[in-house]
Amino acid sequence: MSFEMWAEKYRPKSLVDIVDQKEIVERLKSFVKSRNVPHCIFAGPPGTGKTTAAMCLARDLYGQVYREHVMELNASDERGIDVVRETVKTFARSKSVGEIPFRIMILDEADNMTSDAQQALRRTMERFTETCRFIMCANYSGKIIEPIQSRCAPFRFYYLPREEHDRCLKQMAEKEKVKLSDEGLEAIFEVCGGDLRRAINTLQAAASLSKPVDAKVVYSITGKASPADVQKMLKTAISGDFLEARKQLRDMIQKYGVAGSDIIRQIHTEIFRGEIPEVWKVKLADVVGEIDFRLVEGSDEEVQLSALLARLVEAGCDIKKT
Amino acid sequence: MYAAWSVKHKPQTLAEIVGNKEAIEQLANWVKSWETGVPKKKAAFIYGPPGIGKTVAVETLAHDFHMEFVEKNASDYRTEDAVNRFAGLASQYGSLFGGRRIVLLDELDGLTGKADKGGVKATTDIVKNAQSPIVLISNAAYDPRFTNLRSYCLLIEFKKPAVSEVMKHLTRICQSEGIAAEEGALKFIAQRSEGDVRSAVNDLQALAQGKKSLSYSDVSWLGYRDRQESIFNVLRMIIYGKSCVSAKQAVNMADVDIDMLFEWIYENVPAHLTDPHDLAMAMDALSKADVYRGRIRAAQDWSFTRYVIDYMTAGVAMARQKSQAQGWIPFRFPTRIQMLSRSKVDRAMQLSIGRKIKRRCHISAVRASKQVLPYLRIIFKNNVEMAAGLARWLDLDEEMVGYIVGSEEKAGEIAKLLS
Repeated sequence: MSFEMWAEKYRPKSLVDIVDQKEIVERLKSFVKSRNVPHCIFAGPPGTGKTTAAMCLARDLYGQVYREHVMELNASDERGIDVVRETVKTFARSKSVGEIPFRIMILDEADNMTSDAQQALRRTMERFTETCRFIMCANYSGKIIEPIQSRCAPFRFYYLPREEHDRCLKQMAEKEKVKLSDEGLEAIFEVCGGDLRRAINTLQAAASLSKPVDAKVVYSITGKASPADVQKMLKTAISGDFLEARKQLRDMIQKYGVAGSDIIRQIHTEIFRGEIPEVWKVKLADVVGEIDFRLVEGSDEEVQLSALLARLVEAGCDIKKT
Repeated sequence: MYAAWSVKHKPQTLAEIVGNKEAIEQLANWVKSWETGVPKKKAAFIYGPPGIGKTVAVETLAHDFHMEFVEKNASDYRTEDAVNRFAGLASQYGSLFGGRRIVLLDELDGLTGKADKGGVKATTDIVKNAQSPIVLISNAAYDPRFTNLRSYCLLIEFKKPAVSEVMKHLTRICQSEGIAAEEGALKFIAQRSEGDVRSAVNDLQALAQGKKSLSYSDVSWLGYRDRQESIFNVLRMIIYGKSCVSAKQAVNMADVDIDMLFEWIYENVPAHLTDPHDLAMAMDALSKADVYRGRIRAAQDWSFTRYVIDYMTAGVAMARQKSQAQGWIPFRFPTRIQMLSRSKVDRAMQLSIGRKIKRRCHISAVRASKQVLPYLRIIFKNNVEMAAGLARWLDLDEEMVGYIVGSEEKAGEIAKLLS
């Protein structure tokens, strides 16, 4: 077993190595061939290869010395307008020295940039097109302002289909000499959806526990990595104790640092699994969806999720009556 | 009609001001001395705790002496430039129509930080060149930043008025509002306010508005709660508000900022809205308020704050449909704030580990601390060898390893492998 994060170790280095997203990869290859790249938006859910595709494109384009021509900036950490005015602008206007006249700026998690910063970026993109091309990676392209969208070629990334997901993890398990059972693989896919980064992290964490990775291990891991007590919290809420349910939620978020998006994903799964009247499952799924959407827009996970808990308390009360 | 009583019943003349007779006399004499030429001290520096009538004293003085009154507070004038633009007014003898002018620079302690660079110095220059009386107001006079400025000023201290004086003021308000109030009730409110007249008036309004009488038993259950009483009144006006307007107005009475007020409401709503439908409505309103907070941040447009206020006050007030009052339930301090400050160290650590992960993994530090760190925890707890390898690969220091693993023994094992 090697001692890196496997998600990095097995990250494709060239467009040739990318397993899925075939149409996208083909177009990116044609960019490399013509030695020209437009401004791009890579939009899609996490763990579908956006950053990887951008890095591979850069590497294929510039070869071994790609680091000199590429800058990767994470908009979640540096989201303000100052970063655009200083860091981005300085990079964008300096001329590239190689045979390709422009450099590439990869803006990761670009949907987290403030709209001020995006406005500033719009001018920078226009003025320095000669010397710099932008690749913006984002989960939600809707959160990128329209003027930028209209300047970019859009690429939509999708979750990996099951076969690709399985093939990928199996290969990795083989190389790392980890026994991965079919049920284990199934469990990983169920827990992570098609988010490959998450799937790989889960596999690695499971492998650190025991040699054969089976469904039991996977569930115990994701129980720890994502909220162990979501089920308990849901029961508490539906039985009518809002304050206790909120306290459990608070512990999950603050003490264990569980992400709100993980909690809501699990709530969604649990609602369809749980012993609630069938009609209510649909009603509740609607509420979960609404809150999930607000989570994306809101600023406080606990507030949003406790609004959901209050709805569950309400539902629990109505169910009892019927 | 709804108006904050602290504004509605503000003293109109010097005689109506609560307490501080000597200080007011000192101030009045100094202003009079301008009749016979510019005095040695060209500015009066009034200082004292909040809510005891410093600003209103200057206002009524201008009124009683028929002077033109010009006021700036720290939110208006901040930088040296802004102060200088204002300086012209102070350097002239009087107003256009020959009357005298009094210039008030309020909330002097608000001149802070880098943005106000030069503000104190510019203020000092204005005082030196003044041709009209200037009054400066601050909560703290002995702030070292004001050392030089102080030497040009007549220092006047305003003190907390006695309980009996606060009571007199409350009695007058009750008379004008047509409320028959027991002496004991007013005494209780006055004592609780600890000399802060403004907060006493706010308390009175929250307890007595719309009533014909106020008895000791109406107020006695309040209990002492040091400086939290005004937030308590505000919460009551919101959670038990009957109209949108009054719930929204409550925000102006709060002496905490919007975010803190949000926390207070968020903490206390569940205990006070017992009906599940009401509670769901109220929490939904808070959720929407929070969405607007997100939009404010994303658009950097603070004008959206009005919608945050709408939802968190009127939205919460209107949620109450079926919930019965449950007798007296105490308002609680937002426990989330306590937890947040306690876990601040935790979050700082998580973020610094996140930054290490970011350097290796093409993921933001914020996201890494939420999405990768939990997996590291599992690995570090279960597989010392892999943990050591990863610690080296990520360049984690001993403290970080200790934090991730959560036990000294395991951390020791990993450290041994690393050396």
